Amino acid sequence: MTAGLDERLSAPGQPVPPAKRTVQWSRENLFGSWSDTLLTLVFGALIIWVTVSLARFVLDADFTIVRRNLTTFMVGRFPRDELWRPWLATGLIGVMIGVVIGSATATARDKAIEAGLPYRESTMRDALRRFWPLLALIGVALAFTRTFLPFVLTIVVFAVSALARSAGLHFPAGVRRRIWVIALALLLGAYLALSAFGGRGWDEWGGLHLNLFLTVAGILLAFPIGILFALGRRSSLPALRWVSVTYIEFVRGVPLITLLLFGAFALGFVLPADLRPGVITRMLVAITLFEAAYVAEVVRGGLQSVHPGQVEAGQALGLSPWRVTRRIVLPQALRNTIPAMVGQFISLWKDTTLVAVLGILDLLEASRVVNTQPDFLGQGLFAITLGFAGLVFWVVSYTMSREARRLERKLGVGER
Amino acid sequence: MKRYRLMAAFAALILVIAACTDAGSDGSTTTAAAGGEGDGGADGATLAAVQDRGSLNCGVNNAVPGFGFVDEDGNFSGFDIDYCRAVATAVLGDPEAVEFVELTAQQRFTALASGEIDVLIRNTTATATRDGSEGATFATTTFYDGQGMMVRTGEFDSIDAMADTTICVLTGTTTELNLATRFADIPYTPLTFEDNEQLQEAFIAGQCDGWTSDKSQLAAIRSAWPDAEGGPEALEILEETFSKEPLGPVTRDGDSQWSQIVDWVVIVTMEAEELGVDSTNVDSFADTEDSAIRRLLGLEITDADGNTAIFDPGLGLEPGWAADVIREVGNYAEIYDRNVGPGSPLGLERLLNALWIDGGLHYPRPYR
Amino acid sequence: MATTSPQAERPPLWRDLRVLKVLAQVVAVGAAAVLVYVVWFNLTNNLAARGLSLGFDFLDEPFGVPVAGSDFSPGSAIWRALIVGLQNTFALVVVGLPLVTVVGVLVGIGRLSTNWLVAKASGFYVEALRNTPPLLVIFFAFNAVILQLPQIAEPIDLFGLVIINNRFIAVASLSNVEGSGVFWAVAAVALFLAVIVWVWRSRRFDRIGSPHHRVVWSLGVLVGIVLAAYLALGGPVEISHPELEGRVLTGGISGLAAYFAMLAALVLYTASHVAEIVRGSILAVPKGQTEAANALALSGFQRLRHVVLPQAMRIAIPPVISQYLNYTKNTSLGIAVGYTEFTLIAFQAIGNGQPAPQLILLVMLGYLAFSLVISALVNMLNRRLQFVTR
Repeated sequence: MTAGLDERLSAPGQPVPPAKRTVQWSRENLFGSWSDTLLTLVFGALIIWVTVSLARFVLDADFTIVRRNLTTFMVGRFPRDELWRPWLATGLIGVMIGVVIGSATATARDKAIEAGLPYRESTMRDALRRFWPLLALIGVALAFTRTFLPFVLTIVVFAVSALARSAGLHFPAGVRRRIWVIALALLLGAYLALSAFGGRGWDEWGGLHLNLFLTVAGILLAFPIGILFALGRRSSLPALRWVSVTYIEFVRGVPLITLLLFGAFALGFVLPADLRPGVITRMLVAITLFEAAYVAEVVRGGLQSVHPGQVEAGQALGLSPWRVTRRIVLPQALRNTIPAMVGQFISLWKDTTLVAVLGILDLLEASRVVNTQPDFLGQGLFAITLGFAGLVFWVVSYTMSREARRLERKLGVGER
Repeated sequence: MKRYRLMAAFAALILVIAACTDAGSDGSTTTAAAGGEGDGGADGATLAAVQDRGSLNCGVNNAVPGFGFVDEDGNFSGFDIDYCRAVATAVLGDPEAVEFVELTAQQRFTALASGEIDVLIRNTTATATRDGSEGATFATTTFYDGQGMMVRTGEFDSIDAMADTTICVLTGTTTELNLATRFADIPYTPLTFEDNEQLQEAFIAGQCDGWTSDKSQLAAIRSAWPDAEGGPEALEILEETFSKEPLGPVTRDGDSQWSQIVDWVVIVTMEAEELGVDSTNVDSFADTEDSAIRRLLGLEITDADGNTAIFDPGLGLEPGWAADVIREVGNYAEIYDRNVGPGSPLGLERLLNALWIDGGLHYPRPYR
Repeated sequence: MATTSPQAERPPLWRDLRVLKVLAQVVAVGAAAVLVYVVWFNLTNNLAARGLSLGFDFLDEPFGVPVAGSDFSPGSAIWRALIVGLQNTFALVVVGLPLVTVVGVLVGIGRLSTNWLVAKASGFYVEALRNTPPLLVIFFAFNAVILQLPQIAEPIDLFGLVIINNRFIAVASLSNVEGSGVFWAVAAVALFLAVIVWVWRSRRFDRIGSPHHRVVWSLGVLVGIVLAAYLALGGPVEISHPELEGRVLTGGISGLAAYFAMLAALVLYTASHVAEIVRGSILAVPKGQTEAANALALSGFQRLRHVVLPQAMRIAIPPVISQYLNYTKNTSLGIAVGYTEFTLIAFQAIGNGQPAPQLILLVMLGYLAFSLVISALVNMLNRRLQFVTR
């Protein structure tokens, strides 16, 4: 880093021809010294080898198994004549995302205008730059489809989301403040689209759809419980504190898989004999119990970031302790936890693959079991199906982690 | 004074909580006991529950070639799956009225005992321990299998020659236990896997010298062995069968009516084969003189005095249920050939699974 | 009872803060107690209904199957199998955590390298691994790395010191001959002396400022004494070379393929997280420090070693501890490739009909103890470091 800086300081100004610039650049950044040259050669060889192996694998592979089982990868065993349900749900979630983004953009714009700061509307190009991995993944998935319908429906979903975004931009401020109600309603609508009137409840979901559901539902359900435990842990009341600390530390000390095993094998033992939830419900319970402890720690971090003076100011105004928490501490604390919550979301997203160990047909398990179909039996196609599943998990998690970093920067700047 | 009042409030609270706890526990005693009864299955409880629900909860495997797997349309398919459908047809009249519950080897008996599933049809071996300690009741065997050993052609000619080898095996199965017994005096290293795909990768890579499993599975895998790896000729299954694996449906202890129904669903598929009734001709026997067929299909039988009656063995099922099963799912030969027979990718000959009249072990009890 | 107290000034009972405080606590503890009670009640009832016992007597029953890579016999008790599993988990942790640290720090520094290619390659590695589910990384390590090693018939043999094939990797080890007890005792004393010399040289350096050469001094003491003892005792230990005859391995120490698959996968996965922490911590060291080091004409390595890393380490330690704990918890995924660690053993026992609630509780408590011990140890270290530098 410093070498580049020194260079810039010592040789100001003169424009350099491009060819020479390349030579100079590579001398600075690749062949600066003997050790540098050696590193460059070793890493260059390594990179070429990895690239060639990957390219050869992708080019040689026969993706018939993915093409023919794409629906199973996406929605598991969801009845094929009811596929309009997942599409409708996807559309509703697209609307939700559009509305939320639209109204958040409007709020940011209004704030900037109010404060007299310059505001730059984010463009299509920004969106492309931020979400290209996800878009590329959708492209890859569409390339595996066998009919045109998914193309059309994907375009419809995008169009509807775009419409929803522009609608969100024009929501009045009062509505925007309560946008989460609309978001939750749409989420509920998506669930009903899948399950109501002859649809399938979550105990029969599968594929990518199930991983997404477990992640989102796990975080949403864990959130209120986590806040309670976080408040309990910081409470001045010893009994509350001890209950919270014991719970949080116990759960954080054990691997998720033991909790999933508990859900699969032991939860039935501790429930009343006439209560027999399905296995995905039990997984969801285990995941929620697990996430609640982590969310509690994230929220605790947020609570600690709120200056004590805020609490004192609230008390000075004569607010009750509950009001101080509800109106002053929590809003500031939760805002500070957003990047960490996204991180938690990513790690849960990766962890949902563990349900495959218990034979639940999520994306990873689907990539495994399709190899037992008569046409593909014993053909050694596991690497291909596993590679496809891996790509999906990676892209989603990569995109989210980039967003988390962006948020972190943004919120961090706002604080200073 | 203040302190007294605080303490009084405190004591009152504790009393209230204690009272609540007691009430709660009394409540749950009764529910638990009642639930336990229903669960353990008073006679007929399962049948009533299934009919109430309108669907059968069938515990299955999702990754055994030929027996239970998920096809491209997301439907379950296979030999065991067809028996789930047969049971559903018998009790509900609809082969589609099945909710399949995917279970790992470790989960299956817990799921059965807890009432999560009504019947377990997941290539499960009948053993005394499972009968005695796992609360399982085994129905008539649907598939006689036996454990074998598959090796690369020419490497070993018998199991006794396999000292100091590494053997690949699936975890949580009787296969694993049988292997330990057979190799009690032969030094070996077991390599355990959760699933066949991973195991196959290991076997192809030469991580293990032998692959042990039920012979039907080994045959299926051998016949599909990729040409790149030398095709089926590259592998051989050693002759020795070192365990008996009678596979069949399993029900919960304590509801004998339900166990009998499942048992008889299996038997009638075999009986139908013996009588020459299959899904294509099941409706053409209205005028048959053969009383065995008339009984099986629930047709009117006229006795010597001219009285007509429909035969009802009293299993608690609608008359004609067996005809429904055969019409919707097929007889044993049809189920076998469709899923695992010589025409299927598994290509298994009937052998032990032929009817007794053809020299096999299936000897259906008379339906009368 | 006196009735003269100023009751009128006090808020009613339901708004009295002290009453509310007590109430809240009683409710919290009460709710927890009721929950525990209901769970216990259902558990005993349900277990009894299935004819399972509540106790831990089943631990004495035979496990039934052998455990790969150990001389555990199928007839031994379940608790012995669990201990073997615990040892296997431990083997992953003890070897893995130092590797995680080394790889993580190297890659973290690599990401900030002035060499463009090194920086990009490190970045690629971090992004590729960090965003992949660990279970998939394990599958990948097993299928794409370990299985691609040569088969046992034609293993890689490095000068008789290391034997590599896709079933196991064996390394030469030391084996004891006669009189080795005395030798090891002397070696321990030598190590102790070497530490003392190290401290002495460091203190002297702090006091006088003359070059300490503590590495040379300590190593000299250690090697000198050990060599002398070795010669005096007439070769009390010798190197045991791994040897492969057919499929039978003798000598050396060896680990199964599944172990190395787990180790590689978990080390690479966790190191990608540690690398991010290291990078962040280095960037968090104030720029002025680097500039000051440059002003003192320190070389790049000296700057890193004496100025940047010591400061970055203090920032990095808490998040790195939590990565260590994550690593420990992720060792429970051995089931993916059949590595018989603690959880898999319990899983196998459950599969063979043993009671699940007790086994799962045991496994949870095992990990909990593991986590608590590790975090206590590293916290202690952390406190020391913070103290010394203040």
